[in-house]
Amino acid sequence: MNIDVTQASGVAVVVPRGDLDMAAVPHVRSALTGLLDNGQSRLLIDLDDVAYIDSSGMGTLIAAMKQARAAGGDVRLCGLQEDVRTIFEITRVMQAMSIHPTRQEALASWR
Amino acid sequence: MTPNAAGSTFSMTSEAEHLLRLRKWLREELVGHGVPKQEQPNLLLAVGELCANSIQHAYEGKGGHPINVSVRSSAESLVIEVEDFGKPFDPRHYDAPDLEALPESGYGIFLVKTIADSLSIDVAREHGTRWTMVKYRPGYGPAASGGGRT
Repeated sequence: MNIDVTQASGVAVVVPRGDLDMAAVPHVRSALTGLLDNGQSRLLIDLDDVAYIDSSGMGTLIAAMKQARAAGGDVRLCGLQEDVRTIFEITRVMQAMSIHPTRQEALASWR
Repeated sequence: MTPNAAGSTFSMTSEAEHLLRLRKWLREELVGHGVPKQEQPNLLLAVGELCANSIQHAYEGKGGHPINVSVRSSAESLVIEVEDFGKPFDPRHYDAPDLEALPESGYGIFLVKTIADSLSIDVAREHGTRWTMVKYRPGYGPAASGGGRT
């Protein structure tokens, strides 16, 4: 899985490309904790290029969110594809995380 | 719809990297068995979760061990089996996740039970576990006749 990271208004925009499954978790976890450990507490994960997420991938996002919130920040999501919404809905993570349709709306939620 | 489609089997070893190949195979199988497009993502997720469970728990994260996935269908239903030959699943030690607590793990079997119309577990084998997941076609199954989910 490739992961691009850019900065926008003090928010680290993380863009994973590929399937966020058990195989990708170590790489994604490393990228997110690397940012959080370096003091970046506002992360936006744009999932527009992710067509599959399993529970281990979702768990990695939850863990990052908890670490960010403990530091006074947050991990927010955008670009959730229709095919991957189910896992967030069944587990009620949809209600627990800040999830926005677009990157623009997600970044605006921090203003 | 493709009634009475013959079954086929995919074999992998217990490395997470093989899950992508599994999903590619399963996507084609689901199309061939006439599964509606809107149901395919959930079935991919459920089977992926069972295989990940085998990797993580049956084989305790160790690679090189076999996992088999088979798909067959009839006019009434699609049946998917996932089997491993490692440490058997123990239902006595399974607890559904506390969703309110937003755990970081433990969602796998819960997801499968939610997505499948029925899920049975066979651990009365020499080794390992065979999971059998049934998804009824629209208009079939207990839900269609007013019964409950198993």
